[in-house]
Order: sequence, then structure tokens, then C-alpha cells
Amino acid sequence: MKKKPEWLKVSYNKAAVEEVNRLMAKLKLNTVCKEANCPNLGECYKKKTATFMILGRTCTRNCRFCNVTSGAVEPVDPKEPQHLAEAVKELDLNHVVITSVTRDDLKDGGAGHFADTIRAVRELNPGVSIEVLIPDLQGVQRDLDRIIAANPDVINHNVETVRELYSVVRPEADYDRSMAVLEYVKKQAPHIKTKTGIMVGLGETDEQVYQVMDDSLKVGCDIFTIGQYLQPSPQHLEVKAYVIPEKFAQYKKIGEAKGFHYVASSPLVRSSYRAEEALKEGKNNDLY
Amino acid sequence: MKKNIQMPKLSEQMESGVLASWNKEVGEVVEKGEVLFEIEMDKVVSEVESMESGVLEAVFFEEGDEIKADEIIAVINCD
Repeated sequence: MKKKPEWLKVSYNKAAVEEVNRLMAKLKLNTVCKEANCPNLGECYKKKTATFMILGRTCTRNCRFCNVTSGAVEPVDPKEPQHLAEAVKELDLNHVVITSVTRDDLKDGGAGHFADTIRAVRELNPGVSIEVLIPDLQGVQRDLDRIIAANPDVINHNVETVRELYSVVRPEADYDRSMAVLEYVKKQAPHIKTKTGIMVGLGETDEQVYQVMDDSLKVGCDIFTIGQYLQPSPQHLEVKAYVIPEKFAQYKKIGEAKGFHYVASSPLVRSSYRAEEALKEGKNNDLY
Repeated sequence: MKKNIQMPKLSEQMESGVLASWNKEVGEVVEKGEVLFEIEMDKVVSEVESMESGVLEAVFFEEGDEIKADEIIAVINCD
């Protein structure tokens, strides 16, 4: 294990974590915070916020960076949309981020369940902004349409890494397909904010990072996130470099100069980390 | 009243963790919410806040030790 730099320190409050865990267990909900062993879990749970993960805890893909379990999947819980809407109410969230495992086994990739969840959350919590972090749905436009029709405020789809590292990091995904997903959403619904992000520290070069920014801007992406890749276990891809905070600041500056409405870039940024701020910050800058 | 401090289980998969540092010394006063110790995890270093206020009476492990989750690692005297 490489020694962690000083800036990779997070706080942990047992009582806050247990409280959110209890609520999730009660409503039979999963969070990506817990499943991905997110370093920000302590901070987010203390602030009583979480990123919900729908469609089960098991993913049909096996990306080399991801801590979510892959393998045989569970049946979809039809009560999940309602339970999630109740959790949003109980946690008194202003902004909710909903993601999922990838469900290549389902006919619609889980798009209908996403749409049901967005509608259930909106019905019980009018005024709450909704962000969905979706899988690529194999680029099927009919499935993307179902999510677009439910009209979330933000559709996020992460490219995760630079094109050159796809075969190592995301062997079952396709860089161009992910870009096409972002492009399609923006074309169909220009009012929905689109968002993507990458992890750094996997061996990418600055030029490759800037190329992802350019490609994302070309497909109309509004918000870009960059965070440090952290190895979930010795069985996962190794961290090639701990990128220094100054470099993250440089990425943010360059990304915003290139044209993104908002760039979140720092070591512990995850695509849903302080997502509400990313949305609001853009609004405050009269960009929305 | 004396309270045992356990090694927290910071994730579902965590079986043990490495004690990175003690942020308080034996005999020192610790307030609830203050960072009591740090644990080196696979992804990050976690600063663990004290759930109790009192005097750190004893610690049973040293920095660098690998400790099983739920094991008692210290005692705080809350009187």
C-alpha cells in the first residue's frame, strides 16, 4: 500500500454513519457511498446526505476500479422508488443524487425503474432537485428517452477515465458510446444539465485529460468533475500517482476557461460529492 | 464511568485496520467530537472522532499496529 498523502484525510463520526445506515436498512435502500466504500461517506452522512444506488447491490459489469460487487444480480424491488422518495423526505434533502449498478441483464437496462424513481421522488418532494448518475444503457436511445421523459434536473454519465485507458480501467465500456450518451441527452433535452467526470492518478497525461474535456464540451456537457482514483482493495487497479491539489486546481481553471459551466476538481471529489453546490454554483454565476 | 473504545468498522468489508496515529496522549482530556485517532484504510486515512468526553485512561495499541474491527483499543474515563 502506497503511503497516503496528507490531503487524503477524512473524518469519521460513528453515530452519524450508524444513523444513516439505520434509515437505509429500514427502507431497504442501498447507497453507493457504502457499496463503493466512498472516502466521503463520513462527511456526507454527517450532513445527512447520501447518494442512493437503485436496482440492487450487484453489477453486471466488472470494472477494475470499482468496489461495487459484480456477479449474479437481484430482482428489481418495485417498492424501491417509493422508499427512496420517503428517504429523501426523511433526510430533508434539497438535492438528491440517484445512481445504479449497471443492469445489462434487464431489457431496458433499468431505465424504466430510474424514471419511476424520479417521478416518485418528485411527487413526494416537490421542489427537490434530482440528479441521476446513469450507466451507458448500452447507448440505446429508447431507454435514454425514458429517463429524459421523467425530466430530472441533471443527467450525469461518467466517462471515468481518458480514452487511452479504457481497455485497462473500463474494458466492458466504450469511450465513444459514453460521449454519445451525453450528446444524445443534450440534443433531446437542452434544458437538462449534463455532467460527466473522470478519475485521475491512473497513469493518464495532462493532454489526455484536456482531450476528455474537449470531447465532453463538444457534446454539450455542462458540468465536469475530476477526483483522485483510490484503490478500494489490493485486488483492484493500483494507484499510479497521487495527483497534488495544485494540479487539481489547474484542471479546474483550465476546464472552466475551456467553457464548462462548472468544474469540481480536487482529490476527494466524486461525481456526486457536493453535487448540489455544483448545480447552485452554476446558477449563481447566471449560467443556467 | 469508564467507556471502552473499539476499533470502528469503517466499511462492510473491513476486517482490520492499521492505527496510523493517536491524536491524544494517555492522561489527556478528550472532548466528544474531537479526533481521537487515525486509521489507515485502503483508500484514505480516516480521522475518528471520540464519541465520549473524558480522560483517555489507557491505550492498548501502538501506531502501526494492525487491529481487528471491534477490538477494544482504549478506555476513556468519563467521570
